[in-house]
Amino acid sequence: MLPFRFASPAIVNAFCVVVCVASLIATPTAARPQYGGTLRVSAHASIRSLDPGAAITDRSEAVLSARMRPLVFETLVEVDAAGGLRPVLAESWESDAAGARWRFRLRPGVTLHDGSPLEAWKIAAALRTTATAWTVSTDGEAVVVEPARPERDLAWALADPRHAIAVRRSAAELVGSGPFRIDRLESGRALLKAHDAYWAGRPFVDSVQVDFQRSPRVQLADFESGRADIVELQPSDVRRVTERGLRVAATRSIDLLVLVFESNRAEAASEPARRLFAGALDRSTIASVLLQGRAEPARSLLPSWLSGYSPELVASTVPRPTRTTVMALPAAQRTLTLRVDPADAVAHSIADRIAEDAREVGFTVTVQAPTGLAPRPDVRLVRAALASTSPDRSLLQLGAELGSRTLSAATPGPVLTAGASLDTVVRFERAVLGGFVVIPVVRMPELFGVGDAVDISEGEAVDPTGRWNFANLWIRSSTRARP
Amino acid sequence: MTLRTRLFALVGAVVALTDILVTATVASSARRAFAAVDDQRTAVLVTQVRREFVSEGEQVAQRLERVASSDEVVRLAADLGRSKTNAAAYVGAAAPLAASQGLDFLDLVSEQGTIISSAHAPARFGYRHPWLPPGATSMPESESVFLQRVEFPNDVALGVVATRSIPAGDGRILLVGGRRLDERFLKTLVLPAGTRVLLYRDVEPEITHRQLVDASGVVADVQPFEPLIARVRQTRQDARAQIAGSSDTESVAAVPLAGPDGAVRGVLLVASSGRELASLVNRIRWSGLLFGALGLVVGCGLSYIVAARVTRPVEELADAARAVAAGRWDVQVHADESSGEVGALARAFRTMTEQLADQRDRLVQAERVAAWRELARRLAHELKNPLFPLRITVDNLTRAKSLTPAEFDEVFEESVGTLTTGLANLNAVIGRFSDFARMPMPQIADLSPNDVAQRAVKLFHAQLASGERPPIHLTMDLDPSVGRIEADGEQLGRALTNLLVNAIDAMPQGGELTIRTRRANGGVRFEVSDTGQGLTEEERQRLFTPYYTTKQHGTGLGLAIVQSVVADHHGRIWVDSEPGRGTTFHIELNRT
Repeated sequence: MLPFRFASPAIVNAFCVVVCVASLIATPTAARPQYGGTLRVSAHASIRSLDPGAAITDRSEAVLSARMRPLVFETLVEVDAAGGLRPVLAESWESDAAGARWRFRLRPGVTLHDGSPLEAWKIAAALRTTATAWTVSTDGEAVVVEPARPERDLAWALADPRHAIAVRRSAAELVGSGPFRIDRLESGRALLKAHDAYWAGRPFVDSVQVDFQRSPRVQLADFESGRADIVELQPSDVRRVTERGLRVAATRSIDLLVLVFESNRAEAASEPARRLFAGALDRSTIASVLLQGRAEPARSLLPSWLSGYSPELVASTVPRPTRTTVMALPAAQRTLTLRVDPADAVAHSIADRIAEDAREVGFTVTVQAPTGLAPRPDVRLVRAALASTSPDRSLLQLGAELGSRTLSAATPGPVLTAGASLDTVVRFERAVLGGFVVIPVVRMPELFGVGDAVDISEGEAVDPTGRWNFANLWIRSSTRARP
Repeated sequence: MTLRTRLFALVGAVVALTDILVTATVASSARRAFAAVDDQRTAVLVTQVRREFVSEGEQVAQRLERVASSDEVVRLAADLGRSKTNAAAYVGAAAPLAASQGLDFLDLVSEQGTIISSAHAPARFGYRHPWLPPGATSMPESESVFLQRVEFPNDVALGVVATRSIPAGDGRILLVGGRRLDERFLKTLVLPAGTRVLLYRDVEPEITHRQLVDASGVVADVQPFEPLIARVRQTRQDARAQIAGSSDTESVAAVPLAGPDGAVRGVLLVASSGRELASLVNRIRWSGLLFGALGLVVGCGLSYIVAARVTRPVEELADAARAVAAGRWDVQVHADESSGEVGALARAFRTMTEQLADQRDRLVQAERVAAWRELARRLAHELKNPLFPLRITVDNLTRAKSLTPAEFDEVFEESVGTLTTGLANLNAVIGRFSDFARMPMPQIADLSPNDVAQRAVKLFHAQLASGERPPIHLTMDLDPSVGRIEADGEQLGRALTNLLVNAIDAMPQGGELTIRTRRANGGVRFEVSDTGQGLTEEERQRLFTPYYTTKQHGTGLGLAIVQSVVADHHGRIWVDSEPGRGTTFHIELNRT
């Protein structure tokens, strides 16, 4: 039997430091917790459903849904701030040596939002809907999961919010066991109420109100005026927020911005142009100036804290090309259209800078941020979220976010599967980056502004993995501004 | 061409020519007047546009000054002056500053020429400012406002630029900002109707339509302006030209806008539409046409009236002359009431017709007297011949009273016979005169000309067949295709009989008698020919005169009767004859 495992020792060390520092910043006064009040959160995206089984194609909706879903629906296990697994609905778990049969012993006394107890058969039924390839059964107070083929890290897969336990009462009603229950989910707002019988103790706030479709400017204005307690922040706003004495919560650098060449520019003959284009990027300036030091240059797909190896192991260093070198390329290869998500302002500014860097050495780059139909681009700037699980699964998830064919097209050699060894991951990533079809740019955190009325008993309002830790925070009524 | 037509054409030509001359003169004057006014208006406009351009520059300078003196910039400068490494914190500083003062572009530039923050090209931070000359180590400053090509992320524009230097510790920070010079500036200009201002922005090597804008945006058709723009770019001086567009011809004054180095960065084009002038000229032209048409109508009316007054008496005289020629001697001419030459002519004409009628009456009277004399002479002649034997016989009877009864009876019997014969001759003479006097009107019927000829010839068969006289050979040459005619068969037969009698009488020694029918001139022609001694010219001239005869015992009425019949049938008769060669009479009749 194997206990749960950590991603790597480096992760543990790094996150311990982050957690300690965050704890010192977050609880300087150790104020006494207060019950009651509504936590007001603003978000740029909007969600239509929190159903873990719902297929979401819009990235911003998927990200927001991943943040909100754990507040309502819990998984058996989850990745903690240090990068390890911690029990949630499962009290403990074990598997055979091959990882072919996993047994999760359930936490006793867990009640659903409708007051009914959460029993093994309900969890098994929920998992069968989200993981059709697995055989899920019950064994007394335990749930037994048998994957189609042995998976030694299946527990990490169950930490994925998509495998959250949602008990279906009717076609439209889902019941969870999380600290909050869904009270209202409308087009512009979601209202979550505290789950009084939550197994870890009732949340301090009575409710969480999430306002959708709030632009970054509006969010900042709401935040500064006290009309919102927690908002999404742009890197350029961090200085302004901190100057006003407001707090900033940051995740780890879990977002990777990466350039992906389209198939018409991915052929081997265009590799010199792609290499020169990669060399033109001034990642350091993007990270330090444009993203105000809140990001780090990325030369590999997986961060060292997740993979455990240096970027130099998988990516070669390309010197900045001269204008003469670039001008020697065929004119068609020097002209590129760079597409970026029009809803992602940060990505757009990064794309502008990439275009500027490329122009400086002789490329002609047009930034395209279409809201409708547009000509086919040559290269896309994609924001992809890194799952804080294992390197193989993170890389697979990254491939899914970049496009199912992107990584396979970039890597004619190695094939990556879940549970692959670290050596395979290294070879795969090296193959992906070797042809310069996929060019990492920067890795950046998600930033949140936390109002001065918000206090927390443990951790931060948003933990390093991006999870909203709203069950442990409370509102200081004395400091809340009147809207 | 009649006098009336000539007069009409003359009046029309005079009116049209006058109208064209007046229209052309007025249009030319209007053009000159408009050109003068247009020059003045364009000069005023150019002055106004220059003033607005200067004002735009002053506004840019003022706005940049307000940016330079703002708390944010002062704090930024102080901060950067203290620590030169934290410029990244101000990468987004330019945008709100530019927005607060309505500047389209603003760069915060370090003393070394590195962009700290750019409002219009935020991604350019860290790069050398594009206006920093190659090799230069510090950013140049300019106290005055100038025009400069400004690169935006997606386009290139012409900007009115100002610079300000801000102390920052031991060094300085340069603010470079301004506003686009584009259609927005042009929209602020208050222009009189019919004018517009265009701006050519010299931001690309070639002249393209994107570089030429007016208040409504990019001008699609830059081609007409290209020569003028090129001239101004080359000479760097004001220029003017007439530019024809698709719907208008504009008078365009071009004013060069120079950059700091004196090169032409832009060209202001003040265009004054020629549409008003074209409209005026058009109105003049239409007025000319309208008045010309009106003049033509009035002229035609007047010319008709005048021509009518002049030509009507002349035409009346002409009609009267034609009537007189047709034999109507009593025609009346009313034009003699007119005054002047036409009246005198009409009066002379009337006098002439009256005299002609009088002379005709006299002539008729004279002819009538002559006819009666001729008739009396013929009567005397005709009656004297039979009366002479009668008087001799009566004398013989008187002298015979002295004879014996037997001798008296013998003389008496002989005398009675002579008297009877003489009286019969008198009766015959009187009958012929009576027949000529009683010529009835023809009874028209449908008949065959050949039948008429054959009936007439049949009367002479017995005479020609007897052996009492030298033989006359008769030839009938009748054309069966002559068809039928409308005529009086009896009168026509009588006419042919008379001609046959004359022909037989003309050949006492015998000869050839021929009668022919032929189709001729749409009708029928009868020909009666003999081979007698023929006629002299004098005989031919008098042939149809009544009571004229060449025969010893003729009455001279035969051919007169023939002519009368032919005339009653609206035909014609003529004779061909030469002495010793025979004679041929021709009668030609219409079918109806």
